[in-house]
Amino acid sequence: MSAHAFINLLGYLEPIFCAFVLTALIRSESVRKFPSLTLLLSVRLISSVACLALIDLSGRAIEKHLAYKLYFNTYWWSYAIEALLSLAVVYSIFKLAMAPLKGLATLGVLVFQWAAAISIAGSVGMAIGTHFTGLKFLIAVVTQLQQTSSILTLCLLLFVCFAIRPMGLTYKSRIFGVSLGLGLMATVSLIDSAWLGHSPQLFSTINVAKGVTACLTLFLWSAYFALPEPKRRIIVLPTTSPFLRWNQISMALGDDPGFVAVGGIPPEVFAPAEIEIMRRASMKMAEPEHEEMGLVSQSA
Amino acid sequence: MKSIVRAFVVVLALTGAVASTHASSSSVQAKVSAAKVSAIPTPWCPPDDPNACGIDQ
Repeated sequence: MSAHAFINLLGYLEPIFCAFVLTALIRSESVRKFPSLTLLLSVRLISSVACLALIDLSGRAIEKHLAYKLYFNTYWWSYAIEALLSLAVVYSIFKLAMAPLKGLATLGVLVFQWAAAISIAGSVGMAIGTHFTGLKFLIAVVTQLQQTSSILTLCLLLFVCFAIRPMGLTYKSRIFGVSLGLGLMATVSLIDSAWLGHSPQLFSTINVAKGVTACLTLFLWSAYFALPEPKRRIIVLPTTSPFLRWNQISMALGDDPGFVAVGGIPPEVFAPAEIEIMRRASMKMAEPEHEEMGLVSQSA
Repeated sequence: MKSIVRAFVVVLALTGAVASTHASSSSVQAKVSAAKVSAIPTPWCPPDDPNACGIDQ
């Protein structure tokens, strides 16, 4: 089998695997838990089918120049949507992973939002620097965004892998499975970015590696969603655990502070009952002093 | 098992880090610096390419 035929085969296998994952997601009733992943896979499925149909029909049912124009637009617009959705998937996975540690989750989400905002701003800024307009500008933004998204994904994968025990997860958890798949795709995407500087062609050898990775990832996800997920373990952490300490500290951060009236308080601001309580309290505070003084005078 | 998974993840992250440094240097020459992780061919040529980027080959 030639490399070209193998790439074609992988191209046809990809939407099939994509449909498998979507079916497994729906069957396992995980769509509500992973809405951004479902959307990402749906966009990928639709765009793959449309792109393959355009390649097959070019020069036959559709004139090749028109087919390429349609293919070009379908590919890059779907890539733009997928880049944004992959950021949303990373965000949702992080939130799901951190769900038991509320304090750290709040802090982490805040950091993630800033990192994502800076990534988007950086991507747009770098694309503006290229002086492109129209569709070329969109491509420049999306490619930059995808690179930063890949780096964020790898950071998430490292975090989920090494902090899996304090989060009550196992390597059989879907959260880990999705992170691993995203990490695989992110690594190959970064390798592809390095490769593209040397050989930018429509049909290239790197397509084999990308196709195999995409199919492997989709197969991995379909297995994770088809098999029953083990329940989250009870999280038992030692009292000296830094996760526990940081979680407690993070939970205390951002709480509304209490206020103390120091002076200049007119009596009208208090309710009659409050004034009565304060009067009796001050009388009681004064009583022991009187008694003590009485005792002292008697003994004298 | 745990060590194998961890080692694999570290290798993935390191490969990604090395590739990203290469990508940033090569993207200066190439106008497009990323593409979908998919077997579907990437359209590099402009939409009005006279050869339609060889789509019918």
